[in-house]
Amino acid sequence: MYLRNGKIGVFDLATGEASVSELTEELAGDGVSSLATADKLSSIHGEDSLVFGTGVLTASFVPAACAGFIHAKKYSDGWSRFMPMLGFAGVEMKLSGFDFIVVKGISEKPGYLWVRDGIIEFVESADLKGKDSWTRIDKIRADQGDSKIHVISSGPWGDSKRECSQLVIDYWGGEDKAGLGGVFGEKNLLAVAVRGMGEIELAEPEKHFEDSVLLMREHILKLGQNQGLSSYSKVADRDDFKKLVHRHVACYGCPFPCRTFLKTDEAPNEMMLAIKDPGYLHYDIPALELAFASGMGARDATLALRMCAKAGVEPVAMMSNMRSGGAKVTPETIASVLADPIDLKAGRISNFEASFQDEGAYRNCLGLGLCPRYWSKVGFEKEELASFGESAVGKTLDI
Amino acid sequence: MQGDLLRLKIEPLKCICCGLCETSCSLNRDSVLTPMSSSIILHIDDKANYFGLVLKTKSEGLVLARPEGLMSGQQASGSSGSGSKPVLLREACDLCGGKAKCARACPTGCITLEE
Repeated sequence: MYLRNGKIGVFDLATGEASVSELTEELAGDGVSSLATADKLSSIHGEDSLVFGTGVLTASFVPAACAGFIHAKKYSDGWSRFMPMLGFAGVEMKLSGFDFIVVKGISEKPGYLWVRDGIIEFVESADLKGKDSWTRIDKIRADQGDSKIHVISSGPWGDSKRECSQLVIDYWGGEDKAGLGGVFGEKNLLAVAVRGMGEIELAEPEKHFEDSVLLMREHILKLGQNQGLSSYSKVADRDDFKKLVHRHVACYGCPFPCRTFLKTDEAPNEMMLAIKDPGYLHYDIPALELAFASGMGARDATLALRMCAKAGVEPVAMMSNMRSGGAKVTPETIASVLADPIDLKAGRISNFEASFQDEGAYRNCLGLGLCPRYWSKVGFEKEELASFGESAVGKTLDI
Repeated sequence: MQGDLLRLKIEPLKCICCGLCETSCSLNRDSVLTPMSSSIILHIDDKANYFGLVLKTKSEGLVLARPEGLMSGQQASGSSGSGSKPVLLREACDLCGGKAKCARACPTGCITLEE
């Protein structure tokens, strides 16, 4: 099975037992609809299951093949949500030896899952309960002794099971518009840490590389000069935003990044490693739009989104509730609300989900392991991608 | 990085941290996707948005392509994280026989092959 490990990891938080099962053809289906596979895994392992998934092209050389996802479904009331897992987390998960990881049950004690080399273990960590997401990431990396571990974590708002919570991936927020931080909280799960040191086989490595590089060059010619987030949204076109830009950062394999780091605590052009946490990485378009609409400038918006990411709260829910209550939205007023998690109307808003008008195309793209934002920009041509199947997985992809 | 006629030129500030150089290097060595056997390694301190490249060369030791500039001649010690294969145990760059895959995969011109 090319571009797949052929393995599903299952961890039961209630018993602490880990098991590995085969990714059968029946589960894999057409091989491209990974979200459908996640749905099947939920039905097998129970409606409280969280399913971490990768697409068949995740970690390949196809441009922007960075995506994985986290999927949750409750059949009793039709509650079904998923979020993309971008940056390097999806790639790291596939290289850790699993195509899918199912997390079921509720842990008696708080802790995090540590995934690497085909192993899933639960690490009790009562000291991290209630701590902010950045503290969790720093502590997990320090304890496991590897700064390249990728961490998906909630914060105190996730711990308190709030629907308006968000999961943060390696310090930054923008993927979780589904309130999955609260699902972590329900499970007493503080974080999931992954490190991938495995190997993934390709059907025709050289051809896949050559075809992918050619496609990437075509895309770059079409897209022109990259300006980070402002290449994708006018929200980043403001002068005060541009004045704070440090560097643009890509997810794995993306030639045209949408992530822009703003420095608030030191000069944006400072290239030395001076301050350990000098700013924030922006790619949450609706959150920035609302921050600006609330009267904040780029600096305050950056501080506000950073605070929300640390607390594990979804910033649009936070700001819209403050606005509807007549409160002035500033970093200071947000800080006062963050101190004590409360129920906020989450509402369902879109960030990466808004990349496609057609939800089916969004699911297809994400399910393949491709970034929806990038591929909606360059054109998600099914026929073009289907042809990549031969060199990647040894058969035409039935997209 | 010196070869007989060719060398890799790295301009660190053009790096966007996409990781394609790592995986394309390993692909050339082992024909699989993994960052573990590459001669070029992403160095990242993500919270500070500080990132660059480390290249193991035959002639110059380690070339550190950091945001603040290039430095070469370092001893081949350290690693890309304790869990990964130490730099010491990795093979030095051989320019993929003159068709450096990292340079071909790099989307920004951060890594180029020049005479």
